[in-house]
Amino acid sequence: MIPTAAQIAVLALVGGLVALDGTSVGQFMVSRPFVAAALGGLVVGRPGLGMAVGIVLEALHLAVLPVGAAKYPEGGPPAVAAGAVFAASQSPPVAAGATLLVAVLVALALEWFGGHTVEWMRQFNVRFAGAPPEGLTPGEVARRHGIPIAVDFLRGAALTLAGVVILGVLLRAIDFSGFPEIAVGTVVRLSVVAGLASALRLFGRAHYPLFFAGAAAGAVVAWLR
Amino acid sequence: MAEVTGPGAGVRRRMLLRSFAVQGSWNYQTLIGTGLAFVLVPALRDVYRGDADGLRAALGRHAELFNSHPYLAAVAAGAIARLEADRVPAETVARFKAAVRGSLGTLGDRLVWLMWRPMSVLLGVSLVLAGAAWWIGALAFLGVFNALHLWMRAWGLKAGLRDGLQIGGTLRGVPFQRLGDRAAQIGALLAGFAAALAAAPRGSHAWEWGAGLVAGVLGIALGRRVRAVAAGAMVLALLAGLVLART
Repeated sequence: MIPTAAQIAVLALVGGLVALDGTSVGQFMVSRPFVAAALGGLVVGRPGLGMAVGIVLEALHLAVLPVGAAKYPEGGPPAVAAGAVFAASQSPPVAAGATLLVAVLVALALEWFGGHTVEWMRQFNVRFAGAPPEGLTPGEVARRHGIPIAVDFLRGAALTLAGVVILGVLLRAIDFSGFPEIAVGTVVRLSVVAGLASALRLFGRAHYPLFFAGAAAGAVVAWLR
Repeated sequence: MAEVTGPGAGVRRRMLLRSFAVQGSWNYQTLIGTGLAFVLVPALRDVYRGDADGLRAALGRHAELFNSHPYLAAVAAGAIARLEADRVPAETVARFKAAVRGSLGTLGDRLVWLMWRPMSVLLGVSLVLAGAAWWIGALAFLGVFNALHLWMRAWGLKAGLRDGLQIGGTLRGVPFQRLGDRAAQIGALLAGFAAALAAAPRGSHAWEWGAGLVAGVLGIALGRRVRAVAAGAMVLALLAGLVLART
């Protein structure tokens, strides 16, 4: 099952808003893959499945820092698309591990491309926001500031649409029968573990003992359940 | 504590709302310069009421190059609005902007992007991996993260308006460093907790625990490169799966 036309329209809207949240307006972090993918899943009625994709993407996105003029992959719109299409494809459930793997790979590729579109947009914004500052009125400031925001929204919506279409086509084209589900699922899970552990680099070497204490607590909880 | 002077409550509210869009026109020439002018419009309108030329000149000055962490840009906007209300000479305002932009950027990047956000994300992810509903994880993350975010914007604008040129001393008095250290400690703990939960699903075999341990150590060693390595491993798994499915 793929999202319906109405769902795709809503996904484009959510993707546009999430792109805005990433940098331009708000920055409430609804654009984090962990949340954005759940929103994508919510649009197709399965937010929990959307969040499953989101956790994988989030683990691999933790160490990405949007500092200054740094170039970085964009997590929001691709997560909306991947969360939605993965969640829709699991009704009825089929080859969950392999489908998740494809959804994550497409999202990672889109994140990389999305990062480039952010860079192009910043160059494009120069013609508005970088225009000579003489004779500025409040209305002109609003125009110079508002057009880039509108462009960012359209960029995010287009990126989400592209993700939905590409992933939808791929999931229809690939025959998952005979796929080694357990092996594929394990690779995805170990990638999540490595991604989550990589966050320790952000916090510094001094906190390594705390990391291992947390891991011990997590292992106890995992063993008990 | 000194009274907040300068712009009235309505102007301050409009500035605060506009501060949420300060990065809207981010570009490689003026960075968030136009965004800063956008945030300052309500205050400058108030200060230069009946002086259209003065307003245009002030907007032009503030639309030039500026950068800061987006949440702490409210501090700069508040302080600049205060200086404009006090009719401080334009050269002094320009020197003030040049002096604060680096420190506001570094302070915010380190506290928010490097410590607070990863810690909040790991809290939400840990809850979901431990079995909480998706919305509990999402709400926990958004709630904890935005508690600091919203405080930084609202407090920053108020402190800037109150202290003007003296904002540096006020910023030094806020325990940002201690807050960041605490977030890093909790974040490290949660990173280990979440990694262990992700490694071992219900009914795991011993080899899965071992593989999880190896993946965790690899993740720590790889740092930011984990993204590329994990993507490579997943592509290989996909290709291997496609081959196996046809044999």
